Amino acid sequence: MESKRSKYILIGLTVFCILLIGISSIGDGFLSPLRSGVGYVLTPIQSGVNKVGAAVYEKISNFSSLQEAQDENKRLRDQIDALAEDNNRLQQERFELERLRSLYDLDQEYMEYHKVGARVIAKNSGEWFQVFRIDKGANDGIRKDMNVIAGGGLVGIVTDVGANYATVRAIIDDSSEVYGMAMQSGSNCVVEGDLTLYKEGRLRLTHIPQDGDIKEGDRIVTSNISSVFLPGLLIGYASDITVDSNRVTKSGYLIPVAQFDTLQEVLVITDLKSDLQQEATGETAGETAVESEAAQETVSPAESAEGES
Amino acid sequence: MKRILINLVLVILAFTIQNCIFPQIPFLSASPNLLLILTFSFGFICGKDAGMLCGFISGVLMDLFYAGPFGFYTLFFVYVGYVNGIFTKYYYEDYITLPLILSVFNELAYNIYIYIFQFLIRNRLDFLFYLREIIVPETIFTVLVTLLVYRIFLIITRKMEELEKRRDTDFV
Repeated sequence: MESKRSKYILIGLTVFCILLIGISSIGDGFLSPLRSGVGYVLTPIQSGVNKVGAAVYEKISNFSSLQEAQDENKRLRDQIDALAEDNNRLQQERFELERLRSLYDLDQEYMEYHKVGARVIAKNSGEWFQVFRIDKGANDGIRKDMNVIAGGGLVGIVTDVGANYATVRAIIDDSSEVYGMAMQSGSNCVVEGDLTLYKEGRLRLTHIPQDGDIKEGDRIVTSNISSVFLPGLLIGYASDITVDSNRVTKSGYLIPVAQFDTLQEVLVITDLKSDLQQEATGETAGETAVESEAAQETVSPAESAEGES
Repeated sequence: MKRILINLVLVILAFTIQNCIFPQIPFLSASPNLLLILTFSFGFICGKDAGMLCGFISGVLMDLFYAGPFGFYTLFFVYVGYVNGIFTKYYYEDYITLPLILSVFNELAYNIYIYIFQFLIRNRLDFLFYLREIIVPETIFTVLVTLLVYRIFLIITRKMEELEKRRDTDFV
């Protein structure tokens, strides 16, 4: 009798789950209130546990790393001298760049993005996925598809937002794909996360056209053509580029700038690519009406027509 | 009702430890799957229904955390609770061999389930690599942790049963 009831429950739950999987793979908008609700309860707990864990671990590691820190201190002092020199040189170059930029009126392309700092409070368990959760959510202005950076490089993208938390998929996740381009030559490529390469600290770099100019050590940044990633964010450096067996494309590896295993704080860029695109088309459409036709070339005809109408 | 509450607290505790503490320990290259241990222990000790309840709560929590198709984990965890509940007739206290064997099979099943439905369907065919780099380390860790955690669950469930018995006698 008992086992029969269990069987019915099992069958019922199975059907329920399969239905849910089916419905939610089409669109999971109806689940966001539920997710958000659970987030209200869970996020403070996770945040607290995270803090306690970090504090305890820090205490323990403080003692052992003192010696290490002293050595490092010495090394860093030398580095500071070298960097100070570099800095002087770079500052000079920056002024020059600024002059040139205003000359070419390119500042629109390299605009400064607004950012919000957030703390990583939970990571996925197991090694299958590279997904983590941050302690800022819709209440702090985080929205889906916002880009996340840390340590000067692209880290990932917000895939799911609750009231007080957001889930971020790292670019090293196996299902992640980012359109990139070489900073110097502008050749397009695709940066793919790959679980088999993750342990070596590398990502896959594919879809480089045969005549594309990407060399070992080239800086790879996010491309203009990506629909969700903002242009010009540094992803990493190219390495080991070889021609594919089909002789049409080249591929290789990418060494990311961001350190993924020690991720604690990240910056979320609160500008969305889709908003920027709309603004850009609106502005240029207005300008072209007053000014010359030269500016119109920066926008595709379809977009400018949309802005004017 | 009290059972559901205790289940809920245990699952949330395991979930937060798994997601917030383990990733911070740098020398852990693989992390044990506490939710899986919890679910199969409940199934094995208390039977199919308790296992399914615990599996359902764990699965829903996992599904809420990951923005994939909802129900993916729930489905698997419910089955873990049910299948391990079948073995409850072989259960007696201080018998650790069978739980360890079950733990190995559960962990393998869990990882292969993820591999097939999240990786194989995206044409990632290098199963041996995933087996070597992910599945085996995680299985080993989980089995080691099972040794410890299973005992703790035994104590908790024993306390729970005692409490229920005492209340029954109170009413009578």
